[in-house]
Amino acid sequence: MRTWARLSIVAAVVVAGACERRAAGCSGDYCGTLVMAAVGEPPTLLPTSTEEVVARDIAEQLFLKLADVGMSTNTIGDEDFQPLLAERWEWDGPLTLVFHLDPRARWHDGMPVTAADVAFTFVAYTDSSVASPFRSAVRRLASVTQRDSLTAVFRFRERYPEMFYDAVYHMRILPKHLLLSVERSQWRTAPFGRAPVGNGPYRFVSWRAAQAVELAADSTFFLGRPRIARLIWRFTPDMQVAISQLIADQADVREQLATPENIARARAAQQLALHPYPGNTYGYLGFNLTANGDSGSPHPIFGDREVRRALTMAVDRARLLRSVFGDFAKVPPGPMSTLLWIWDPEIRQLPYDTVQAARSLSARGWRDRDGDGVRDRDGQPLAFRVLIPSTSQIRRQYARLLQEQYRLVGVRVEIDEVEPSVVGERVSGGRYDAVILARVNDPTPSSGVPQSWTVGGRSNYSRYRNLAFDRLVDRATSASTREQAQPAWRAAMELINADAPGVFLFALDNVAAIHSRVDDVRIRPDSWAALLRTWRIPSDRLIDRDRVGR
Amino acid sequence: MAWLVRRIAASIAIVFAVVTITFFLIRLAHGKPFIPGGDQAVDPAVIAVLEEQYGADKPSHIQYIAFLRQLTRGNLGQSFALQRPVADALAEAIPNTLILTGAALLLDFLLGLGLGVYQALRVNRLPDVVLGNTTLFIYSFPTFWLGLILLLVFGEWLHWFPIGGKTDPVLCPAVDSFRCTLDLMHHLVLPALTLGVVGAAGTARFQRAAMLEVARQDFIRTARAKGAPERRVVLRHQLRNALLTFITRFGLAFPFLLTGAVLTETIFAWPGMGRIATEAILRRDYPVVTAVALVASAMVVAGNLVADLLLAAADPRLRSASADVT
Repeated sequence: MRTWARLSIVAAVVVAGACERRAAGCSGDYCGTLVMAAVGEPPTLLPTSTEEVVARDIAEQLFLKLADVGMSTNTIGDEDFQPLLAERWEWDGPLTLVFHLDPRARWHDGMPVTAADVAFTFVAYTDSSVASPFRSAVRRLASVTQRDSLTAVFRFRERYPEMFYDAVYHMRILPKHLLLSVERSQWRTAPFGRAPVGNGPYRFVSWRAAQAVELAADSTFFLGRPRIARLIWRFTPDMQVAISQLIADQADVREQLATPENIARARAAQQLALHPYPGNTYGYLGFNLTANGDSGSPHPIFGDREVRRALTMAVDRARLLRSVFGDFAKVPPGPMSTLLWIWDPEIRQLPYDTVQAARSLSARGWRDRDGDGVRDRDGQPLAFRVLIPSTSQIRRQYARLLQEQYRLVGVRVEIDEVEPSVVGERVSGGRYDAVILARVNDPTPSSGVPQSWTVGGRSNYSRYRNLAFDRLVDRATSASTREQAQPAWRAAMELINADAPGVFLFALDNVAAIHSRVDDVRIRPDSWAALLRTWRIPSDRLIDRDRVGR
Repeated sequence: MAWLVRRIAASIAIVFAVVTITFFLIRLAHGKPFIPGGDQAVDPAVIAVLEEQYGADKPSHIQYIAFLRQLTRGNLGQSFALQRPVADALAEAIPNTLILTGAALLLDFLLGLGLGVYQALRVNRLPDVVLGNTTLFIYSFPTFWLGLILLLVFGEWLHWFPIGGKTDPVLCPAVDSFRCTLDLMHHLVLPALTLGVVGAAGTARFQRAAMLEVARQDFIRTARAKGAPERRVVLRHQLRNALLTFITRFGLAFPFLLTGAVLTETIFAWPGMGRIATEAILRRDYPVVTAVALVASAMVVAGNLVADLLLAAADPRLRSASADVT
């Protein structure tokens, strides 16, 4: 027994020794380790090949753009853009934009960043064999050429207000000397994507599959040495595990808490500080205006504008929102997130009015003739199915609440919970009645709104078709100032609200939870990690994990 | 020997059948690769290029022939979602799954065997009744539920164990490998408990029953009548014969552990094969799903084969029965 006791003491000492973090090590102003609790793992870190959120957050640290939007997220013109790789730029005529690169910019292998890299990057983004999801975002650029080693010339096909945004926002400059020899069709699987060499404030250190990506501050970064020494993205497949890691002080940052329950848990954790910021996501119940599986004919229910309007008026969106999100979301005044500058609560919307909704449905012939509580017409019940991804707890809640609200006006709703890939397949093929979707906005309404709601928009899954709306969107996107664009956007939003191709349910207000030892936290709403290099941990607040160094 | 050859041939045929069925079934399922869900708008042109690059645009039977050709060269193809060779992804994940299932198996058998024997020696007395009900209670736990409870209590509330992952990403590999090994063991405790404790409860019940069954045999009575010490009767005669059930359960434990690992690895963010499989199924990553089916079925079949060999070695009657059959 005494032997066992001795062995136990020895084992405990060994384990305690193992658990002891290095108390010595890094000290001063440039220490610190931030652990990000990330949900999901990117397939690659090559910016051309993925638009996954975690990949974008990591790419923000590794690969710079020529310039980026400022805190105002104004995308019209170039006044509010901040220089990054380009130290300055000028317009050479209406269709030509000239960037002058910062001569101090270097790749992490020591090579200079040149205009040849910029031209090479443009070719890569537009090459169909690379299959970049951003290819269409740069479609209005005709060419990018190198004038000299530090001057890149962008030529556009046409003149429009967001030329500068298109030139810089989606393209992260890539190293020609490292990627030229890689077959373009093989870029997605290229080893470079798992061990990239960048030009940003942090350099790549390691990627342990399904575990973590580690970056280290580049002390020679030409725009100023980052204040935090190490960044670690810790991957978990589940949001609740990520939140638990944060609460248990095993991670420092979760940029989005998503539900009131998570926000309450994070608020109760003493070491965390909460940082609200505008969200870039809105959610809606989308109606399929064409028949389920037959885009050539109208949907028997949603093809009728008056019925759609009635179904919109039957939904108490504010109450649904309070039930699901509490105070951490808003009812959107149209298809938009709170990030977009066109957000305006004064935009005219259909009211919540069940009496009017019932009257409209009756007027269109939908009455409960057989007394079963469900309206019918020509022997067909007023019933439809709502498609939701089985992975979304929020949409499951919304679907059940909608089911109940519709029941009260005599509409039967059934819920189809399926895997996300099945949702994607069915909505893109038009094989559904209604679906609850969430959309993530770029900082400009000019990309998301046309994409989702105009004729020919590649994610116009409702098959919404109103040429007057399309014209208003055209007018808005071609206005040269926000002041000129605002009336057109407002008219477009009021028109789509009146047509009711969907019920716009929620627009998230993001809340980030960040360890309270972190100072100078600035979050740009379109990309929370864009300014990470300016965050810092004061030397008197360093904790054990900040001092662990390589 | 002929029996062994026949068993191996049958095992290969089973693995082949599982892989073939999986290959076609996953393609018949709704949902397509490269379409992430309705929220993201993916350019159809991009999808078309990707399908062509990965060969997913071809008819299933052509893909199957290509898959078999690649397989003969030891190539499991490229993952659609992970964007890397499937073999590389599995080579990293399989050892992690083996660590987890190995630890769980050890816990399952050591704890289960100990409890089963202990209960059998105190049959119908208070410890047996209490342990019997406790093991039944634990055996009825769903693995995922137990995992979540352990995570909440010992991870989030008490802070005794880390929440998810295989090692602390801040420490490892920054510190030396010995510390990282201890850190790994620290991370292993909760997932191994989740997977192992439920199995141990089942093993204990099986082992108790087997011990009691053997206790009624004539040779036990004879051993006692000859004056053999009780310790010798239990260990040499009773336990040894009761171990046949234990070996059978060893073979049966593999499918249980592998299916349990799928959930456990997801809950504990353990970077193993189960987690890869879950994500691959959700994202319709056909090459990974097929490869996981191949590896998992091979592991299950191999486990059963080893169990049969151990049984034959432990019980001469089974060896002669096998010889008779052949």
